[in-house]
Amino acid sequence: MKNTKKTCLKGILLLLGTIAFYFVVRRVCTSLYTMMVVNIALIYTLIAYSVSVMLGMGGELSFAGITFMGGGAFLVANLTTSRLGLQLPPIAAFLLTIPFFAIIGFVVGLILLRLKSTFFTFSTIALVQMSYTIYNNYKPLFGGPDGIAGIPTTTLFGLKMMDYYDWFPWLLGFAVLIGLFINRIRTTPMGRSLASCRDNETAARVLGVNVYMTKVLAFTIAAVLSAMAGGLYALQTKFVSADMFTYASSTKYIIMAMIGGVQSTIGAFIGALIVQVLPQLLKSFEGYLQLFWGVSIVLLMVFMPEGIAGIFRATVRRMKNKKKKTAVEGGVPDGGK
Amino acid sequence: MAENSRQPVLRLDSICKSFGGVVTAKDVSFSVYPGEIKGLIGPNGAGKTTMMNMISGIYTADSGEIFFEGKNITKTPDYARARMGIGRTFQTPRFLQRSSIRDNLLIGADLGNRIGFLQGFLGKSSTNFQSELDEMMEILHFRFDWDDDINSLPFGQRKLLEIVRSLLSHPKVILVDEPAAGLNNKEIEYLMEILRMAAKKRNVGVLLIEHSMDMIMDICESIVVLCFGVPIAQGTPAEIATNPAVIEAYLGREDDD
Amino acid sequence: MVNGVAMGMVYALLGMGLILLVRAVGILNFAQGDLMMFGAYIAACLLLDVKLPLWLMLPVAALWFAVIGIIFMFTIYWPLRKATYSQATIIATMGASIALQELAKLIWGSQPRTLQALIQTADGKSAVLRLGATTLQWQYLIIIAVGGLIIFLITQLFEKLYAGKMMQAACQDSYAANLLGVPSVLTICATYIIVMCVCGTCGFLVAPVFMVRSTLGTLQLRAFAGVVIGGFGSIKGAVIGCLLVGVIESFSTMAFSGYKDVTVFLLLIVFLIFRPNGLFKAKIGDKA
Repeated sequence: MKNTKKTCLKGILLLLGTIAFYFVVRRVCTSLYTMMVVNIALIYTLIAYSVSVMLGMGGELSFAGITFMGGGAFLVANLTTSRLGLQLPPIAAFLLTIPFFAIIGFVVGLILLRLKSTFFTFSTIALVQMSYTIYNNYKPLFGGPDGIAGIPTTTLFGLKMMDYYDWFPWLLGFAVLIGLFINRIRTTPMGRSLASCRDNETAARVLGVNVYMTKVLAFTIAAVLSAMAGGLYALQTKFVSADMFTYASSTKYIIMAMIGGVQSTIGAFIGALIVQVLPQLLKSFEGYLQLFWGVSIVLLMVFMPEGIAGIFRATVRRMKNKKKKTAVEGGVPDGGK
Repeated sequence: MAENSRQPVLRLDSICKSFGGVVTAKDVSFSVYPGEIKGLIGPNGAGKTTMMNMISGIYTADSGEIFFEGKNITKTPDYARARMGIGRTFQTPRFLQRSSIRDNLLIGADLGNRIGFLQGFLGKSSTNFQSELDEMMEILHFRFDWDDDINSLPFGQRKLLEIVRSLLSHPKVILVDEPAAGLNNKEIEYLMEILRMAAKKRNVGVLLIEHSMDMIMDICESIVVLCFGVPIAQGTPAEIATNPAVIEAYLGREDDD
Repeated sequence: MVNGVAMGMVYALLGMGLILLVRAVGILNFAQGDLMMFGAYIAACLLLDVKLPLWLMLPVAALWFAVIGIIFMFTIYWPLRKATYSQATIIATMGASIALQELAKLIWGSQPRTLQALIQTADGKSAVLRLGATTLQWQYLIIIAVGGLIIFLITQLFEKLYAGKMMQAACQDSYAANLLGVPSVLTICATYIIVMCVCGTCGFLVAPVFMVRSTLGTLQLRAFAGVVIGGFGSIKGAVIGCLLVGVIESFSTMAFSGYKDVTVFLLLIVFLIFRPNGLFKAKIGDKA
């Protein structure tokens, strides 16, 4: 059937692309520092995915990603450094973030999503402020302003992650895998239901979509993704502190998703890379960098609100329409006006 | 037709509703039977769309009860009613602007096949989607590219497509709000055919709001007439056509000379 | 306590600007605090660098505020007014927020500047008023007084005078407003200018307390909280909400020090859940 052929082709392309990406980056990243930059970009991709789910599919602007990222990071930090009298192997701690934050994310989502969109956004901002204050002040769990250091080296399948180079292929694979997962949602009933919540809530309701719970589910998924990102971050940099999880940082992830295209999964991936890597490339303009950032965001919203992926799709559609116009037959309906 | 022996699929009992001081429904009671096409007519502002919104669950009635297949659904939320089998179309079609036509229709099918999120994720999909769709497209006489934007279709086709989407969800009763508005004669023909098909072949109850009297008289088996929220007449088309109260409501009273 | 009211007044000024932009223009401005910050910088610059006397600085600053207001409108609002993506405008203002902060840093350097209080003691420190056992900084009192005056004037303008109603009409239905002879572009421009002037004045008032620095804009988050608590319906609601936030914040600083943010924002969330329309319901309803 035509569909499975198309899927196979896409799958092979993806695999080739990933492998190519791996080798290109390995060649380009000659120093540990540059490798770290890419690694962190890959971790941020997960949060950009969460924005893609919440904003792109669900139509709700949520800043809460950073709260859960911090949560995941601190959970892993605490569980691996015997602060709580418990010491788990790093990977186990990481995996624990999934169920732990699924529950927390679900409960928080239940509370916050009772609010209409703008108010919901405000409440997520409030959440971030609160979580930052708590992370920064409550020493027993979060180490206060000094943070938590000394997270041990991770061992994955018997391989020790000694440095950033070791982490890279795993992070890349993970990012791609999660990306596939997110993309899959888009084409399933859940994705469509979310889209209906976003685009036409009344239609969603009369088509049997429980708008509230669908959004809560999206929020939960976003929370888990962010928590996983936080956990990976902690394992990779071996240090966590509250400064990483401020309100100012939370805008970064939203911008990542919007640059790439909030409606597209691969857009989130690209956006994360751009936001993370571009400052490094423009190091000579360091003073003007943030200004450039702010201005480009405004320009982006004016000229490319659908991001890079949006431009790509629009071009494809234009080409398709051109092809249709030149063809003789073409969906001309009877009785059409 | 011995309708009394069948249970109505939808029954309204003394529904009352007012917005502020404006009464939009006062003691409205009627029933829709499976396979029946019932018209809901009345002059503008009579409260017909409000009535449909109350049946769908978008509005809540101030008093009175609604029964679906014998079950009291007065307190059931809107999405749950849709899942039970109450379908709905709108005067202005409500589609997802950013999704393709296929996705828009698939949402209807998702409901029809009762596929949960998890199952859908794991790959279960509606098996009858294509065949049901083809059948309805046959009646409606048009074809299109599935991946097109919904906005590329002209208004009339979108209205018809909304009915298709609703029927894909396998409803037991469908509320159709002014489907003929904006359609040309051919499209109205197809519209009536598809409604008849739904009623007769699939035993769907149809509640139809329409201003086009030709269509109402042609297609409806029974009619309810609302005027400022008050039901002033119920009966067969023939009875309604000669009912003085109805004539007065639509045309005004003749002057007594 | 006076601190709380003073801070509340600051938030109220910001919040008022927010509400004006929401109601008269229809956008949620995430750069509100940064506009205030910019205003503070301009005031500081005029006073300290150009060394203008106070009476001259005020009108000159007002002029600058007007210019910035217009620029802001044309860069952020104008191109986006027909945007299909409702979140796009919000994100654009986030971008503007970053840009404004950086611009301030570039123009005036990243060291915070000190601005003297309006009323000073002989050795240049901020003067205080002693009332029995309590000591109140004059600056706070000035903030309260001037803030209150501004709020009163603006409220009069928008809710009582014809000009205000014109502005609201221009936002809610610009087509109809145009037909009725209300030039929407001009009224929206006027709104932006007014908002910017309010923000700028607010910045000037608050500068002696917080120092003039590029992160001054973070105060806007509390203004947001205040506006939400007060409800989006009216200026009065926003003002009261913000005052409330200011007072509560000062109390929780005394009670919980480090966790004062938590109190304020927890309150916000609680409010949102139980009273999502705020303390004062909006007059505008949606047609279902």
